[in-house]
Amino acid sequence: MHHFTRHAHDTAHPLTGFDPRVKLLSSLALLVMVISCKGFAFPLLVAGVCGGLCLSMGVRLRVLAVRFAEPLFIAAVVLILKLFFAGKAPLFSLHVLGWEMVGHKDGLLEGLLIASRIGGAVSLVALLGFSTSFTDLMTALAWMRVPKGFIEVALFAWRYLFVLFDDAQVVFSAQKNRLGYVGYRRGLRSIGTLAGALVIKAFDNSQTITTAMVQRGYDGSMPLLKHKPFRVAEVAFSVVFVAVMGIMWIL
Amino acid sequence: MYQSERVLKEMDGIRQPQHSGFSTKKSLWNFSVSLCLCGAFSLLKSTPAHAMHISEGILPFNWATLWFAAAVPFVALGLKRLDTLAKDDLSFKPLVGLMAAVVFIISCMPIPVPTAGTCSHPCGTGIAAILVGPLVSIVIAAVALLIQALFLAHGGLSTLGADIVSMGVAGSFAGWFTFRLLRKLGANLAVAGFAAGLLADWATYVTTSVALASGIRGDAPFLPLFWKILIAFIPTQLPMGVLEGAMTAGMVVLLHKKRPDLLVKMRVVKPGTGNREPGSATPIIVSLFLIFSLFLLTPHTSLSSEAWRGVDESVVEKIAREHGRQARKPLIDPGEGDLLLFAFLLAGVVGGFAAGYYWRLLVSEKKAR
Repeated sequence: MHHFTRHAHDTAHPLTGFDPRVKLLSSLALLVMVISCKGFAFPLLVAGVCGGLCLSMGVRLRVLAVRFAEPLFIAAVVLILKLFFAGKAPLFSLHVLGWEMVGHKDGLLEGLLIASRIGGAVSLVALLGFSTSFTDLMTALAWMRVPKGFIEVALFAWRYLFVLFDDAQVVFSAQKNRLGYVGYRRGLRSIGTLAGALVIKAFDNSQTITTAMVQRGYDGSMPLLKHKPFRVAEVAFSVVFVAVMGIMWIL
Repeated sequence: MYQSERVLKEMDGIRQPQHSGFSTKKSLWNFSVSLCLCGAFSLLKSTPAHAMHISEGILPFNWATLWFAAAVPFVALGLKRLDTLAKDDLSFKPLVGLMAAVVFIISCMPIPVPTAGTCSHPCGTGIAAILVGPLVSIVIAAVALLIQALFLAHGGLSTLGADIVSMGVAGSFAGWFTFRLLRKLGANLAVAGFAAGLLADWATYVTTSVALASGIRGDAPFLPLFWKILIAFIPTQLPMGVLEGAMTAGMVVLLHKKRPDLLVKMRVVKPGTGNREPGSATPIIVSLFLIFSLFLLTPHTSLSSEAWRGVDESVVEKIAREHGRQARKPLIDPGEGDLLLFAFLLAGVVGGFAAGYYWRLLVSEKKAR
């Protein structure tokens, strides 16, 4: 099976078998709760639940760490910015190179709220990504009446993303072997050439793809996967889960 | 065997095969170390984010909704334009999909920024806007951002609207307008491409600063936080814009050399015209750019002159004052005298140099005509 259509996650886990529409709707409902909550306990609870589910699906800790590195870094910086540059009630002060930096209690609370929202929301979307294939997600989006043109472009992009990535690797290696990226001036030129080569390959591939697809009956619109009917147990479970989380959000 | 397989596995979190051992482990280790170093350096520099994308969950619900509402009309217009073009050319949708993949790859390239000691990444929307137009470029940006949000945790679903407005709308329109304007003025492809990439990048980061400041300000006033975030972006994004400009210029020039038919097909250049169209205004543009840059660098217009005092004033002078050693007046004080006159004089020198440098070009072109 081609590596683009392969389900690269633990297919035995119950969550991966869930209807993607149910997962998407539940995730969006929880996402709204996370970003609109006023305290930091609820987002942390969501982060804990989603992180635990990711681990139970067999996602390795290192992969999770790489996925969370950038958002958590941003969360840390926002926390620091809020702590020292927002708020009025002083909590502590630091003397750095003669500069007095005052940490504020209300700033810290605001920063913690934003950081916890980031943690909760990122884990939620990570769980959705780990448990659902891209094709299933696009099908669910199509069911939610996202315009078909957008879905088609996204499917094309996903299908050929890794082909282009491989091409980029080949061009990059060839450039390195021919003393590309030596010094900033040549490095800039090499990056420009790499981007240009990718665009040329994208143009050429689009022509080839179209020819191949037209020969197979492509008339400008792509057929999407058909949905199975909703399963009552899945819907009921999701509704109960979201309702319980909703009650916690209110509390 | 394929790099893509490894990336796919990394993205979806399945166990790596044992036989791909050494290189995979090494590159993952290198990636992790680079990420940590970038993070540490950026943290030390007090930069709010070394990436353009606003992280998932950072915007509260009302602001996330507002940015979505702002993005939707542009995406709808882009999709309408896409449908119109795809009716005439069946290969257009696959092309747009592949361009989205290119933008995805470009905006995942971590490029070290020497002046800041951090990593940042180009946006790539300038390139897309030049080739397929600003409206379709918004769709491309939206698709690339959606994939990044779902599978790489770059950006997010709740911040997708804000990210589309900053990278898609602001970046695409800034890049496209700049490129078209400069081409109309007769600039060659390299200059127009450079300026388009530069301004697309900077426009993206200005809009990101607006979105971030509005989202995280709480009860604090908007403008001071906006300036703080914008200034914090400067160490990475000022040089990054130049890098993106150079990349865009390199790409357009390469396309013109290798595949001019593609540029003609996408209406980037007219058939039969070369790299430089008749009546080139490159010297004027270069002079204007230099003068504008000089103007921005003068103390009167410096954004940071009041809010961010230097180490000399805030540390050294303060300590000296505490010990009873007042600073003497400098022998040459740039704060005194007719600064405007000096700026005009300097601008005249720079403009004269640029005109002199391109004189032969102007004369030879005149002869050719």
